[in-house]
Amino acid sequence: MALCICITSFHSCYLCNAFFKGGITESKGNCVRKLNSSCQIPFHRVHLSLDFHQPRVRGHSPACQPSVGAPLAPRCKAARREPHVCALRGRAGLTPLPPRGRGPEPGWSRVHGVAFPAGAPTPTRAPPSARQVPSKCPPRPCRSVKMGESNEDIDQMFSHLLGEMDLLTKSLGVDTLPPPDPKPPRAEFNFSVGFKDLNESLNALEDQDLDALMADLVADISEAEQRTIQAQRESSQDQLHSASLEKSNFSGAASLGYGADMAVTSTSQYGDELPPPPADPMLDLPLPPPPPEPLSQEEQEAAAKADKIKLALEKLKEAKVKKLVVKVHMNDNSTKSLMVDERQLARDILDNLFEKTHCDCNIDWCLYEIYPELQIERFFEDHENVVEVLSDWTRDTENKVVFLEKEEKYAVFKNPQNFYLDNKGKKESKETNGKMNAKNKESLLEESFCGTSIIVPELEGALYLKEDGKKSWKKRYFLLRASGIYYVPKGKTKTSRDLACFIQFENVNIYYGTQCKMRYKAPTDYCFVLKHPQIQKESQYIKYLCCDDARTLNQWVTGIRIAKYGKTLYDNYQRAMARAGLASRWTNVGTGNAATPAPPSTGLKTGTAQANGQIPQAAHSVSTVLNEADRQVDTPKDKKPALSNHDPGTPRAQHLPKSSLPPPPPVRRSSDTGSSPVMPAKGAAGGLPPLLDDSLPPPPPPPPLEDDELPPPPPDFDEAPPDFVPPPPPWDAGASLPPPPPPPPALAPEATKPSPVVAKRPPVPPKRQENPAPASGGGGGEQDFMSDLMKALQKKRGNVA
Amino acid sequence: MAGMKTATGDYIDSSWELQVFVGEEEPQAQSVTLRVTGESHIGGVLLKIVEQINRKQDWSDYAIWWEQKKQWLLQTHWTLDKYGILADARLFFGPQHRPVVLRLPNRRALRLRASFSQPLFQAVAAICRLLSIRHPEELSLLRTLEKKEKKKKEKEPEEEVYDLTQVVLAGGVAPALFRGMPAHFSDSAQTEACYHMLSRPQPPPDPLLLQRLPRPSSLLDKTKLHSRWLDSSRCLMQQDVKAGDTLWLRFKYYSFFDLDPKADPVRLTQLYEQARWDLLLEEIDCTEEEMMVFAALQYHINKLSQSGEVGEPAGTDPGLDDLDAALNNLEVKLEGSAPTDMLDSLTTIPELKDNLRIFRPRKLTLKGYRQHWVVFKETTLSYYKSQEEAPGDPVQQLNLKGCEVVPDVNVSGQKFCIKLLVPSPEGMSEVYLRCQDEQQYARWMAGCRLASKGRTMADSSYASEVQAILAFLSLQRAGGGGAGNQPQGPDASAEGLNPYGLVSPRFQRKFKAKQLTPRILEAHQNVAQLSLSEAQLRFLQAWQSLPDFGISYFTVRFKGSKKDEILGIANNRLIRIDLAVGDVVKTWRFSNMRQWNVNWDIRQVAIEFDEHINVAFSCMSASCRIVHEYIGGYIFLSTRERARGEELDEDLFLQLTGGHEAF
Repeated sequence: MALCICITSFHSCYLCNAFFKGGITESKGNCVRKLNSSCQIPFHRVHLSLDFHQPRVRGHSPACQPSVGAPLAPRCKAARREPHVCALRGRAGLTPLPPRGRGPEPGWSRVHGVAFPAGAPTPTRAPPSARQVPSKCPPRPCRSVKMGESNEDIDQMFSHLLGEMDLLTKSLGVDTLPPPDPKPPRAEFNFSVGFKDLNESLNALEDQDLDALMADLVADISEAEQRTIQAQRESSQDQLHSASLEKSNFSGAASLGYGADMAVTSTSQYGDELPPPPADPMLDLPLPPPPPEPLSQEEQEAAAKADKIKLALEKLKEAKVKKLVVKVHMNDNSTKSLMVDERQLARDILDNLFEKTHCDCNIDWCLYEIYPELQIERFFEDHENVVEVLSDWTRDTENKVVFLEKEEKYAVFKNPQNFYLDNKGKKESKETNGKMNAKNKESLLEESFCGTSIIVPELEGALYLKEDGKKSWKKRYFLLRASGIYYVPKGKTKTSRDLACFIQFENVNIYYGTQCKMRYKAPTDYCFVLKHPQIQKESQYIKYLCCDDARTLNQWVTGIRIAKYGKTLYDNYQRAMARAGLASRWTNVGTGNAATPAPPSTGLKTGTAQANGQIPQAAHSVSTVLNEADRQVDTPKDKKPALSNHDPGTPRAQHLPKSSLPPPPPVRRSSDTGSSPVMPAKGAAGGLPPLLDDSLPPPPPPPPLEDDELPPPPPDFDEAPPDFVPPPPPWDAGASLPPPPPPPPALAPEATKPSPVVAKRPPVPPKRQENPAPASGGGGGEQDFMSDLMKALQKKRGNVA
Repeated sequence: MAGMKTATGDYIDSSWELQVFVGEEEPQAQSVTLRVTGESHIGGVLLKIVEQINRKQDWSDYAIWWEQKKQWLLQTHWTLDKYGILADARLFFGPQHRPVVLRLPNRRALRLRASFSQPLFQAVAAICRLLSIRHPEELSLLRTLEKKEKKKKEKEPEEEVYDLTQVVLAGGVAPALFRGMPAHFSDSAQTEACYHMLSRPQPPPDPLLLQRLPRPSSLLDKTKLHSRWLDSSRCLMQQDVKAGDTLWLRFKYYSFFDLDPKADPVRLTQLYEQARWDLLLEEIDCTEEEMMVFAALQYHINKLSQSGEVGEPAGTDPGLDDLDAALNNLEVKLEGSAPTDMLDSLTTIPELKDNLRIFRPRKLTLKGYRQHWVVFKETTLSYYKSQEEAPGDPVQQLNLKGCEVVPDVNVSGQKFCIKLLVPSPEGMSEVYLRCQDEQQYARWMAGCRLASKGRTMADSSYASEVQAILAFLSLQRAGGGGAGNQPQGPDASAEGLNPYGLVSPRFQRKFKAKQLTPRILEAHQNVAQLSLSEAQLRFLQAWQSLPDFGISYFTVRFKGSKKDEILGIANNRLIRIDLAVGDVVKTWRFSNMRQWNVNWDIRQVAIEFDEHINVAFSCMSASCRIVHEYIGGYIFLSTRERARGEELDEDLFLQLTGGHEAF
């Protein structure tokens, strides 16, 4: 019996929406080209829109053929009964993981009751480059692979693949690559370079097939099971149906259950004996290609269909989380590439960058968006969704994202009086403004931002407006109101009733204009620009306004931001302050953390656990930690005002110099970061002791994100019982990895990563190797996804009905 | 004991006769005559009066009012001497609580018993407790506008006066909720109706009424209102309020503490009503765009309250909501990068295909609307020269995500246009779609609106959106159709949207109803999803965001200045405003204030700010007591803390706002 695991990886660059649409019908060559072309985009944004890899088991040996009928059923059952044993063999050298605590989902528990994370080839010992090997060496015997935890596996594989891609793009033809497969018929399943074959198989598909799949997906559960059993005795075509049917039952973790079924069927069809456990992939790397075996029509159909189904699911999954690799320019002209997924906010990315850059984390750091073509720029507000903004950029854009300090970002909160009490530039007020004490500032802020409605600074004055599409600048008297910018029409007064609306803020962003004097003959260089975020080229719909001086400019820009974003801005500021406060605590922490061993539950799980590319939850969990810290910090403050100096989350503390009192150095627990990779982040966050209460042991600060790919808790984490966490595996407490110091330790591997095209983060091999349960907790995500799908289907059905 | 006599009937003690009138102050009130001495305690006198009247009745609320001194004799252990009462004192033995008619912020009249003997501050607190309005310190009473009798006798429609005079509140305890309302309202159908009046927004007023009601035309006019505030440190009786008089109940201080839709249905509603009337009567100015938002919110709030959807949106299963949310989520995600041909089979996204007329406004174009075959799928609109060419390349393809959708509809003219302003990297492209009929329009319009928010027609809200648009169209037919420029009577507003009831008369004059309706409806689409209380809160927020919000105006004359100026008092600052131009001359913030003094003789208020800035002014339009009370009131309100809940530091309030003894 000869079986192979095929890893289909399917990448396209960020702008490949078109690719996906057309991709199905386009040639494989196109696909590859697009991938490569993404490297040439000046701003390296690659949309790894699809990174799917699923072990597929197919028979290739003619010897398998005769035994199709008889041994099928028992073998199937065997495969189901001991999925992890099978997987173990397939995985070569993995220890089976104890069953996960999560309750089996109704309807599929029989098959996937033991949700085994090893279905995907993630936890192999192979280094990234070698990991490709199985896919290139089809005849690897692997009897059955259960896709119990497909989601995190996918994610893990994704990151593997990213690493591989990295290597591949860098060094095609390096000797780790096996020679291209000489057998044309097998090319379809032999992904020597990865991407082409899937397309071919897809091309072979007809649209109706997928429709049929769709119908099957919504089929009834019991029927599905029945048919599954039947199907195993029938033709592969039918089996496919049943597989897909069954898949509909495997909500959650079983989204790739199809693959499992395929494995089962093909095994029983073609396998004569149980295959021996595969050798370590590392060792038998130069496997001989399997004997050429033209696939039967049926097989091809089945395979094509399988591919198509998988692809559909991939797409669904991929559609759910869009990821970009963003090259961020540092102020020292270096760049860092970050993996950003669509759920991440600017705040999360800043946090990532803080970890990477060892900067002081102060609140002035911001992501700064520069449009060289329009000569405009602005900072991202912390709550903005970065991917969303970047998606508006055109393909060949010169726009870039810079990580820098801008004191304008939160200037209004540092010195609110400059914005709220400025008496239209009168000298006297300017003098007094400087002296406002912290208490007054605080009350002013509270008054402006904490009431039932926020107060927009009263701003009015003459500005120059560049008329639509013209070159001239016209002076007009503008007023800022919460509802928009207004101007006084000719011959009218500035009472509300006479004002004419210039623009409302719903659909526009505010930018600073640079060098407008030169380019647009503006009266001064203090320009601000309002435009719809989607507009990328010069257009008459971009509004240019010009102020007399920098102070006015800042007042206007800030005022507009307050009017547009409202209290969110203040919340952002408070989070930034909390983050900055946390950071300053961290620096203290870094020195004295050798002491008290902590219960593993206090740590946030860190990058050791999984490198599956799902950053966002990780980032979110950080924010929950922050919030938590905030909240917990708030409470003691009420009772112990004396402590408020340490409190980053309270308004008072915001105005106090951070250094006035060094924060109590929390004792770092040595095992914090390294020891609890399987710890659900939520539990970790919840377990975080209040940061500032002296009576409590000094709080361990949330462990640093040593890596962007801090393992995410599953999206629907709440569903998982908090106590399902398996005991931390004994190996990880630092035997192989020293507990990472607070500043990100994972920087070194990243720094060496040259290719911006792919995620910089190839999983660190030793970690993975040691971690038999990298995927813990990840299944929920898949479940969530599948339940989403099911809901969608049900709804569709309802609509149709 | 007073009244010891000899056998001959001569009084041998120093007693004298005291005449006390029973009942309220009327000239012909029945009186009793008592024999008292200077040492008689008030309590004893009360006892004697009751004995003399000899009528079985609950006298517990009765007390003696000394007319000349304008004083209640409430200290029962005080002697007559201590009060300084002599035989010539005109005393009235009457109830302390008397009925008054309150004109609520929603302009409805409500008769209830108010305390005539307690300081107004307490009396208002009691009224608010009865009406279940929290934070009574923010409200106060005003005298009514003097009626100008010279006006032609118009037949005022007999208006309904709600009556709460029979309702007695158990003292002290917060009224428990019963059947969704405070228990004391649930006694009878009458009181229940009263509660609904209090807690539900009123329908839009008759536009004609709006035009007839007095509106301030200048800042000077706006100062007039504030001369009518009653003194909160004195009782109603002392301020010459008679039983049965009409008083206005209003939110006086624009600092609304801890506004909670759950706990404050009445307060929220009354606040909303006050804000609405402020806007409708042009007490506060706003721009056209803002007025449209206010009008849309009013329309929405009215619609919800009419449909009985009080509180949160009708009980949809939260589970269903979650599901919808998840679906939305999924769909939004899907449509972004999903390959159409693959995903369609999984989640079929409905599409619209039809022949529409399309117009692309360009400079120097002579082309008009042209028939095209238009396909609307997901969020993308593609149009072709004809249906036959549909498989080929479209003439143009537009992704409507983030676009502006503006309706251009005239039902009577059978014009159903959708103006799209579609953003693209190069700029915005304008496209007008012209539909044939309402049905088609509603479908396409709903699709465009959803698409502009990044959702597809598969979204669960699509059907309701279509329905809403159809409803609007029918409204427009009923409301704004042929009305021309004349405001319609109340009957027209009953069935549909009469936009004139939603905007101030200034905008009534400026726009025709049929111009107004689409604009209001356009603004409405942004608020259509709000629940009643959310919409009210949104209204309040928009109101509070107005630059002129919360400023009470007074005409003052600053020390050393010869001309009148306007002083605006807001919750955090004093504003000196030029009377003629209306410009802000100077602003002082309360947070910088050191102290303030009132010279009652020359009616001057002197305020000292930080850095030795001194300001003094005399009040022209109102008593300086009112100005003083405003300033003190705002400072008192700023001392409120969440921790203390609703309990009030009345002493502090009276100290801050009180009369001569305050400083």
